[in-house]
Amino acid sequence: MPPAESSKDIQQVRQIIDVFHEISTLLNANLDRHTLSICISLIENGVNPEALATVIKELKRDGEETMRQVEQNEG
Amino acid sequence: MSSQEARINKGINGLVQKLLVAIPGEDPDATHERRNNAVEFARELLESNAREPAIVADVNQASDLIKKRLIQTNPSPEKALRFTNLYSRLLSIPAINQKWAVLYFLYQLGGDQPRTTPVLTSPFKSPVKNPRESRNPEFRAPRSPGYGSQVDGRPFEEAFAPGGLKKLPAREGGQRDRKEEEQTFAKTPASQREDLALKTALLAENYVEINPPETALLRDLPFTLQGLSSTNLPFSSSATLKLPPSLPVPIISILHTLAEPSLLYRGLSEFVKTADGGLLGQSLRAAISGELRSYLGLVATLEGQIRRALSSLDENQPRGGIGKAGVTLKRCVVWTREATMGLRLMSLISEESKSKRGGQLISLIHGFSSSHGDPMVGAFAERLLTHVTRPFYDMLRQWIYDGELSDPYYEFFVSEQDPNVVSNEAQDGRSRGAASSVWEAKYKLDEDMVPSIITQDFAQKVFLIGKSLNFIRYGCGDSQWVEDYSKGASKELRYGDTATLETWIDEAYKTTMARLIHLMSEKFHLFDHLKALKNYILLGQGDFIALLMESLSSNLDRPAGAQYRHTLTAQLEHAIRGSNAQYDSPEVLRRLDARMLQLSHGDIGWDCFTLEYKIDAPVDVVVTEWGNRQYLKVFNFLWRIKRVEFAISTTWRKCMTGARGVLQGEDANVAQTWKLTRGVLAEMIHFIGQLQYYILFEVIESSWDELQTAIHKEGCTLDDLIKAHTKYLNAITHKGLLGAKKKTSSGDDDNTFMVQLGEILRLMLSYRDAVDGLYSWSVSDFTVRQGISVRADRHDDDDLSTNATSRRGESSLPESILASDDSITDEFPVLQERLQSLGGHFKQRVCILLGDLAYQQDVDMRFLGVVMNFNDVYQLSRRKVARPAGRSEQSRTSKDPSRP
Repeated sequence: MPPAESSKDIQQVRQIIDVFHEISTLLNANLDRHTLSICISLIENGVNPEALATVIKELKRDGEETMRQVEQNEG
Repeated sequence: MSSQEARINKGINGLVQKLLVAIPGEDPDATHERRNNAVEFARELLESNAREPAIVADVNQASDLIKKRLIQTNPSPEKALRFTNLYSRLLSIPAINQKWAVLYFLYQLGGDQPRTTPVLTSPFKSPVKNPRESRNPEFRAPRSPGYGSQVDGRPFEEAFAPGGLKKLPAREGGQRDRKEEEQTFAKTPASQREDLALKTALLAENYVEINPPETALLRDLPFTLQGLSSTNLPFSSSATLKLPPSLPVPIISILHTLAEPSLLYRGLSEFVKTADGGLLGQSLRAAISGELRSYLGLVATLEGQIRRALSSLDENQPRGGIGKAGVTLKRCVVWTREATMGLRLMSLISEESKSKRGGQLISLIHGFSSSHGDPMVGAFAERLLTHVTRPFYDMLRQWIYDGELSDPYYEFFVSEQDPNVVSNEAQDGRSRGAASSVWEAKYKLDEDMVPSIITQDFAQKVFLIGKSLNFIRYGCGDSQWVEDYSKGASKELRYGDTATLETWIDEAYKTTMARLIHLMSEKFHLFDHLKALKNYILLGQGDFIALLMESLSSNLDRPAGAQYRHTLTAQLEHAIRGSNAQYDSPEVLRRLDARMLQLSHGDIGWDCFTLEYKIDAPVDVVVTEWGNRQYLKVFNFLWRIKRVEFAISTTWRKCMTGARGVLQGEDANVAQTWKLTRGVLAEMIHFIGQLQYYILFEVIESSWDELQTAIHKEGCTLDDLIKAHTKYLNAITHKGLLGAKKKTSSGDDDNTFMVQLGEILRLMLSYRDAVDGLYSWSVSDFTVRQGISVRADRHDDDDLSTNATSRRGESSLPESILASDDSITDEFPVLQERLQSLGGHFKQRVCILLGDLAYQQDVDMRFLGVVMNFNDVYQLSRRKVARPAGRSEQSRTSKDPSRP
């Protein structure tokens, strides 16, 4: 892959991520850029978007729970 | 495959790493364990769903869903707008393939975020539950507040029960009600929306099942809209749609609204199939069927929407979930509304078009497009008009560029006359020549059929153009020019640009008219013929007429029965050769003919003789049959005047010569009579001279001048020519005292100038006969006296032979002279009396005529009276004349104010 093209590709990917990030903020999706880029690459590789959404939600919920437990333990 | 898997694994790991919360002070093993758990869970979940087919691989759908959500959750459309911008930017970037999936993912993730209720059981322990839950994600997704499991929750009680209670008591006091309502409206849009959503949900809950269900009705609707019967909505006849009786009233009313376009479509599609109505009718049908096609396109779209909605319906939802599908009967009503308007208008036009045809049809549609208040109707009619007028403009084009009428259904505003009708009309009154029927009667302008897209003036022009072209082709035999012209000038005409059309038509008009006039003057010598008519028929060529009269006079004194055509033509030939007429073109001279009119008993040659100028097609368009008769009338009148003048001049000459010889006598009485006779003769000559001068110079020449200016005007058309010529003839007949106009309303035919002049001319001829009689008497008297003197001479001198005696003396025997002496003397008083009475009559007639002339409208005719009576000689004598009481009374009263 020639470097010029790859840099162009990278630029495009960055643009895409920008756009999706904006949309995600519009929708209150609570995703940072890094997570989002991972998700996009997952979806590009054929992961079911619904399932991925469920996974993210569950992971987040799990994280929140853990946090609460930690706080309770501390408190 | 493996690389993909690896990438997925890497992604999952990264994700877990990112999302896992670090617990401070935790055992690294436990952390590792937890992370492994999470990764395991995620992979399981993702793999279990990987095989599941994508819901709808459509970017637009995902974006629509997001947009809907944004509009629902935000009061202002700002965010939705921003999303739309972002979305279009996204589409322009080609980098990734699964845009819709990412969008959908975001949508799933974002939508539930604020509303997710904490799930007590850890999902890690029951991973099977979630996939099932997410099997039908799109109906879970647009979760509106208060919908689903939360319906009987807090918001319901809060927003609904008070709302319902508030309403009822508030009815009593309108003022308070208003205030409350204002308050309700003053609520934040968000809460309002929530209320509304709740109400909708509740309405959906309280929904009564209908039979057949709305879904079934929706399924049948596309067929109904196409005018086809279906199980639930059958067409019972061509104009009725049977609705299922089991439906509630609101649905029935909706279906009524939907039935309208269906029935209209049925009617129209039948109308389109009918074949009658001519070209314009057919083009109307074509235009309507085009519109119907676009209507069917709409129906097809509608059907697609209905299908899609129905296929995605969740049967378990209330109302069969139809409220969420986006397609309801009500929505169909809205979608078909505009189409219904169009169908309505078309069916109105199709109804009205049955009684109309051709131009009226165009006028009808043009009426809609130009004067209807609704701009939509106007635009629609305008669109129809473009198609409908196409055959009309084709006809117009053929007409103004080829001069051919191709109108098989009689729709153009010019119609060809039926030859039978034409001949009937001709029999009714004026009979016309062949060419004039091409011009005047072959085509007719039908004012009713002129469509309102062109004005009457314009129609008149178009009519003239086509008529002229046709006339050039058939009347003038110049089809070559017409073909060249149509090749060169023919243009495509269409509806719309009226200004250009008018310019073209004006151009065509000018070209055609100029050509026609050119043909008329150059090829058919119209102007030469007019001049010849004036010269020969109106006696403009003096030397010719004088010669003709001189050579014919002896011939014409004989009875009409003794006139022979060959003698007449021979004399005519002689007159032509002997006068300047010989220099005229042979084209003109060969048309000149002398013949006898229909003779009645007792007529002499003078009464029947006529000159004729033969006019053939196409010039007879201008010099019509009627014109010919007018010319003949004028010629006969002038010929009579000329003849009287000629006769009186001859007599005068005889008298003048005789006065020096035979008329010298001693008898004072005889001398006195001769003197009086000469006076009257002079009077008559004056009268005739003035009359001739007046007719030839004041009437014919001045009218001719007017005619010349009229026909040589710029842009003169054949119609103008015809009109000018008719005016010319009318002026001549009217001013030339030939008009049948009566001066008084008494109804006496005596009053017409024609009759009066005829009488005067007759008197003149009788007088002239009497003068001739007197002359003969004088001659006989002279002879007798001569004879007596001769006898006396012989008596005196026998030697003297008859040298001195005239031949007359010789011829009359002395015995007979002596014998007739008494009778000759007896004759004189009779002659004297006759001369006197004729002279008196003449004066009387002239006075009446002058009296009538003095009160004519026309200046020229009054002038004739003045010229004839320049020295007031007649007015003195007029009083003495006894006339019928009524007339004298009238003319005296009318005369008196003029003379102080």
